[in-house]
Amino acid sequence: MLRNKFISIIALMMVFLLVGCGNSSEESAGKSDENYPSGNMKFLVAAGAGGGTDNFARQVQPMLEENLGTTISVVNLPSASGAQAHKRTANSEGNGLTLDFASSTYITSLAAGQNPTGLEQLTPVARMQSDVMTLIVNPNKYKNFDEFYEHAKNNPEDVTIGGTHAASPDKMAFLEFKDATGLDLNFIPYDEQGSVSSNVLSGNIDGMFGEISSILGYMESGEMKPILIFAEERLKDFPEIPTTVEKGWDLTNGNERGVFVSADTPDEIVSKIEQELKNIYDSDKYQEYEKKTNLDFREGWLGSEEYREKLEKDLDKYKKLQKENK
Amino acid sequence: MLDSLLNGFLTVTEPMNLLLLFSAVFIGFLGGALPGISGVILVVILLPVTYGMDSTSAFMLLTAIYGATVFSGLITSILYRAPGTPEAVMTALDGYPMTQRGEAGKALGIGIFSSVLGGTVGTIVLIIFTPLLASVALQFSSPEFFGLAVLGLTVVASLGGRLILGLIGVMLGLFIATIGIDPLTGTERFTFNSLNLSAGVELIPVIVGLFAVSEVLKKAKENDTEKEITKVKIKIFDSSIFRKIRFTLARSSILGVAIGILPGIGASTAAMVSYSETVRWSKHPKKFGKGVPEGIAAPEAANNAAAMGALVPLFALGIPGSGTTAIILGAFVMHGLQPGPTFMTNNSELIYAVFVGLFIVNILILLFSKPFIRMFSKLLNIPYASLGPIIIICCIVGTFSVRNSMFDVWLMLGFGVLGYFLEKIDFPLVAIILGLVLGPIAESELRRSLALSQGDFSIFFIRPISASLISVAILLVCAVIISPIIKKRKAQKL
Repeated sequence: MLRNKFISIIALMMVFLLVGCGNSSEESAGKSDENYPSGNMKFLVAAGAGGGTDNFARQVQPMLEENLGTTISVVNLPSASGAQAHKRTANSEGNGLTLDFASSTYITSLAAGQNPTGLEQLTPVARMQSDVMTLIVNPNKYKNFDEFYEHAKNNPEDVTIGGTHAASPDKMAFLEFKDATGLDLNFIPYDEQGSVSSNVLSGNIDGMFGEISSILGYMESGEMKPILIFAEERLKDFPEIPTTVEKGWDLTNGNERGVFVSADTPDEIVSKIEQELKNIYDSDKYQEYEKKTNLDFREGWLGSEEYREKLEKDLDKYKKLQKENK
Repeated sequence: MLDSLLNGFLTVTEPMNLLLLFSAVFIGFLGGALPGISGVILVVILLPVTYGMDSTSAFMLLTAIYGATVFSGLITSILYRAPGTPEAVMTALDGYPMTQRGEAGKALGIGIFSSVLGGTVGTIVLIIFTPLLASVALQFSSPEFFGLAVLGLTVVASLGGRLILGLIGVMLGLFIATIGIDPLTGTERFTFNSLNLSAGVELIPVIVGLFAVSEVLKKAKENDTEKEITKVKIKIFDSSIFRKIRFTLARSSILGVAIGILPGIGASTAAMVSYSETVRWSKHPKKFGKGVPEGIAAPEAANNAAAMGALVPLFALGIPGSGTTAIILGAFVMHGLQPGPTFMTNNSELIYAVFVGLFIVNILILLFSKPFIRMFSKLLNIPYASLGPIIIICCIVGTFSVRNSMFDVWLMLGFGVLGYFLEKIDFPLVAIILGLVLGPIAESELRRSLALSQGDFSIFFIRPISASLISVAILLVCAVIISPIIKKRKAQKL
């Protein structure tokens, strides 16, 4: 009787632990697109659970499962800015079963030399989100961009901007901004977005680079204010905020999220996945999710070829910026 | 507010929601009790499940699991010295010696009582003071966090054992914490071009290795074939013990909530600071580490209170107070909710349902912890030859699941061997954890503060909170150095 109980407890524990590992095995098989997918699929997410990139992957997961009639497991590999996710994808068999879900952090960390998996080892399949980079300040300090600009110009080294991590899209936006405007500003990287926000709220730092979608609540309460948008045209939803391009600076990059596969993947399979992702992107359900999470300020979709060109261009630019600011 | 609370109560007491809370507590118990599976991982696993639920049920489930895991980490910590969660490391210091003395039931009873009390205090503070405290938490920026971390590091002096070994331990912890990519400049430190090392050393492999694995190794050498059957009788409330620990409980609960509210600092730090303060205020500090009730009450009241406190900035400002709450914040976004200062007013129904849910979770913990722990404590009677390997397997699977890394598993086993040898010379293992937890906070906040002040050290002393924290730390260090000298003088005079 007692013994039975032990066994059942242990069995229960084991089942539970297996859930924790959640890695299903994947089988390798033929390489033509007709029998794609040839087995269960795996999403490697180059970010922690609960963040924007993770939400993106988990949104696509059930839709792709349904469209392809397969099972997909999601594995988060957040450490070292997602470097592990890229490495594992690059080393995976080129059968299109391992998909890497990544944000612009992939390219910014590559430029900063923190990520050993270059663009020659991965094939970009599609970009699905393109968030808008924004300069956000505490309205008690600066009412609008002109006030911010004047103050920063007259007081070199006095203005401090926060962002997440030392090789993030926030940091690159900062470097781009500094380079284009010629302003003398400081940057402090924090470990989490929450710390950046709380330091802006309390006025310890002057502002931050981030996305409007993450600060809507603070805008409503008047505790944070976006004063400059990295875009060509003003946003429909926020026509009062000026853009970089109208100020004469050609800065339009924001945080983008897309899907990658191993460079060994045959073209037919890449275009097959691209088509599947495009179908998802166009679906009402996906568009509804983008609307709900405020990711619909501008067009997100870029196909495989265009995405690669964009990434290569960005990489060159970021590498140059990184070098100049060493 | 009473109206909202009543509404929340009605929502929670719907049969489906009660069932949800009940299962959340059970899942939390199980996950928290297994070394390596922490609240963060459980919430991650269940996140996709909640996408299909309505927001109120989803957040009741997630916060209830969160509360239950913080509690149940103490079970394996006390019984096997295998902390189920990082929050429960300090509990092992006095809990496990009590188990070895055959007082497991007493230790668990104190743990349960303190946890529930701490959790309840935390929940009450959460309900009443959330909007008020959130703005206080914002007063804490880099210089203040640095002060808090330094104060925490001085704890090493009160850990007992030889001070020099404690210092070596802290230094070792601080060193391990520097491995990986420098958070401020992005430079690689001690990574030897290995991708695994550039990701840094996680806390869980080190804790599980040093505490759980080393203990299994030690036990493996002992002969326990003729072990008598131990019956663990848990008494949750014992008035004689309560009289002894009531001040500890009060102090630790309040300290726990206060530390929990600070953004970015979680229940593990709260347990450490509260333990050390208890040693500092105690009349018999030498007894700590050998199995005193206060040594269990302090960290358990504090970590449960801190877990609730960490929800204050989340609800009031949309800023997570700890790792698990950061993931809950992500879940808010997926449900289309807008975290931020207006969150509470816009979603008062949801928030108050979550508050009441947490209150009920504390009651459920009180009711069901006893039968649940009884299952676990029966495992004590299994011959260690069978139990040891099971513990090791749990450690391996749990560590692997933290970030799907086999490297972490090897690291964990390596720390197990290291811990085994360090134990032989009575090395205070917890000093290493102290350095590892507080080191990164101290280092990066020091550098951030100096970046803010453009290299001017006065920033630490012109801000009242950081000035007082640092002065207290300096005074305490001086006291530790001077008091033996004074004692010696006195002894010479006599």
